[in-house]
Amino acid sequence: MSTSRSTPNARRLRWTPWLFAAPGLLLLTLFMAVPFGMAAVLSFTDQRLLTHAALPTEIVGWDNYLRLWEDDSFWAALGNNLRFVGVVVPLQTALALGLALLVNRKLRGSHLFRTVYFMPVATTMSVVAVIWSLMYSPDQGVINRLIGVLSFGSIGPQDWLRDPALVMPAVMLLSIWQGVGFQMLVFLAGLQAIPVDLYEAATLEGARPWQQFRWITLPLLRNTTIFVVVTTTIYAFQLFTQVQIIASSGAAAPVDSFRTLVMLMVHEGLRNGSIGYASALSVVFFGIVLAISMIQRLIIREEGGAA
Amino acid sequence: MSRSAHRSRSALRLSRLALVAAALLGSVGTACAQTVVSMWVHAGAGPEAKAYSEAVAAFNQSHKDVRIDLVRLPEGSYNDQVNAAALAHKLPCLLDFDGPNVYNYAWTQKIIALDGFPELKRIAETEMLPSLRRQGTYNQQIYSLGQFDSGLALWGQRKWLKKIGARIPTQVGEAWTLAEFEDVLRKLKAAGVAFPLDMKLNYGMGEWFTYGFSPIVQSLGGDLIDRQSLKTAQGSLNGPEAVKALSLLQGWARSGWINPATRDDSDFIQGRSALSYVGHWVHADYRKALGDDLVLIPMPKFGTRAVTGAGSWNFGISADCKAPREAAAVLAHLMSPEEIGRVTQANGAIPGTRTALARNRNYSAGGPLAIYAEQIQQGVALVRPATPAYPVITTAFSEAVNNVLAGSDPKKELDRAARRIDQAIKDNKGYPALR
Repeated sequence: MSTSRSTPNARRLRWTPWLFAAPGLLLLTLFMAVPFGMAAVLSFTDQRLLTHAALPTEIVGWDNYLRLWEDDSFWAALGNNLRFVGVVVPLQTALALGLALLVNRKLRGSHLFRTVYFMPVATTMSVVAVIWSLMYSPDQGVINRLIGVLSFGSIGPQDWLRDPALVMPAVMLLSIWQGVGFQMLVFLAGLQAIPVDLYEAATLEGARPWQQFRWITLPLLRNTTIFVVVTTTIYAFQLFTQVQIIASSGAAAPVDSFRTLVMLMVHEGLRNGSIGYASALSVVFFGIVLAISMIQRLIIREEGGAA
Repeated sequence: MSRSAHRSRSALRLSRLALVAAALLGSVGTACAQTVVSMWVHAGAGPEAKAYSEAVAAFNQSHKDVRIDLVRLPEGSYNDQVNAAALAHKLPCLLDFDGPNVYNYAWTQKIIALDGFPELKRIAETEMLPSLRRQGTYNQQIYSLGQFDSGLALWGQRKWLKKIGARIPTQVGEAWTLAEFEDVLRKLKAAGVAFPLDMKLNYGMGEWFTYGFSPIVQSLGGDLIDRQSLKTAQGSLNGPEAVKALSLLQGWARSGWINPATRDDSDFIQGRSALSYVGHWVHADYRKALGDDLVLIPMPKFGTRAVTGAGSWNFGISADCKAPREAAAVLAHLMSPEEIGRVTQANGAIPGTRTALARNRNYSAGGPLAIYAEQIQQGVALVRPATPAYPVITTAFSEAVNNVLAGSDPKKELDRAARRIDQAIKDNKGYPALR
């Protein structure tokens, strides 16, 4: 824009984008920035869920953070979160891509498969978790029966939700089953945006299917993949519903073998009423998720530079 | 105490219907000058829920100026919902809550003392069972009234017990010792009962674990907290007695005498178990399924004396209530012998007032539930500790029980529970009373 333009017009142009952004910014401030700021402030106090007239809220400095450092439940929860993210993100992304490739084929009934794979996404997670916890049952559960049949009876029934070594894998399996349809849909959209003539040209040049996948599909799906990986990571960190339902449906595995950070926050804040401590947890949690997202971005950018 | 999840879910649907109905009625109600008393109850088992609907209908029919607006909420997250409503100052006038939460609610001034309402004070002092009066008292004031007290003992199947030649105690004084109890379990297992003892582990981590299993700790000489000072759990909750109690529980699970993977309420009825360690609330279902084969056995003497749980869900008036006097009238109605008779008929609980107890034939000498009344009258029943720290205590203890059942070391788990409880007491500066 040249400086010779009339000033009122320029001023209007300068303000217009802010005007358009205002509703969104206002909501973001109100529901994201302010609560987070409050959590940061509360994490330095001994705020209780229900305030008590004889016990005014006091500043406790770094006490909540020091307690967190010494709290083995926190470290266990962090470990569970990292293990979950570490397994679920790559596995779910790869599986989603595989499913998308399958249902993208021009075959009769591929629409049916798309619907079937997407159905779990449309089901509420709490319903999924309750049904799967029945399927994992050691005596009547369908999963143990299936394993028994597939292994010709050599693997006996496992107590999936009470065995500290099996409870996390069990949660991972049901989470992937529930969530993979959504990523599949995103990949499918990405696949259908790739021009068909690229493949036709490649076929004429004699490229085999694997070569086409490696040198056409994957590079052109790059942005889609970045989106899927980043969102899946963030969703995976927020793991709560499944584990909370497992914790409250019958005796469970030792809590620390599957409790996640979000669940710990709820337990500390809502059950025990220590909002100050729960706030400290949420600040640390935010820091960790932020750091991991930044690292992901950094790695992806480097690859982008090399490509 | 928690019950099965599917009940809570169907109850959720019911409570939604109730909400819609209440909204419709509410718009009609404003036309005539009625005082509306909002009331929350936890959605218990079917017959109990029905009893509350009928109690409310009876009240609404006989009172032209006051109308109860009943909402039933699922039990699983009931406490969380009460907390959230208290935070938003949106508690209903009248609400029920599991007994031991009364001290925390009173301390945080969610509920008001009932001494100011003459009719309620009279009921509390002259009519209500001493155990319920103890449960409802905080800081020398009465805060809650209970329609019923709970009974915790063993349900047995006579034919199985006869088959293995077990002695069946018929009074509190004849209770099994630990050795006898374990012998019975061993013989039942040998006789082919899949999991001899049903301990309702399907209720999951929550109040049931504390209500049900802390009596074992107390029977052996430990406790949830030091009862004298109420200031520390060290020594009582993680002493050798408490460790022995949870080790016993773990041992029963390891021996296959109890089923850690209990999925629903059917183990006892369908014969996978021959004994059921549970409270009064299953009575109607069990009686229907087993008839005369069902026998009530007093709580065993695991240690030097028998101890069983006491206290149950009870009612209080919230500090947010705009019409406390009308709420008190509703509460007095609920405490009438007729209403107590109605609800205890439905859930099998011990009627909470002398008059109602005397009217109930189940509890008279020789009645099928007489043992529950005996346990309360002979000092076997112990109310849960009267401290605002109770919500933290029960969270810590039930988590420890869950972990021990899954194989963790009892001493380590109880040390941790005691540490967390003491930390909470310290965080709240010993829960100072308001002056």
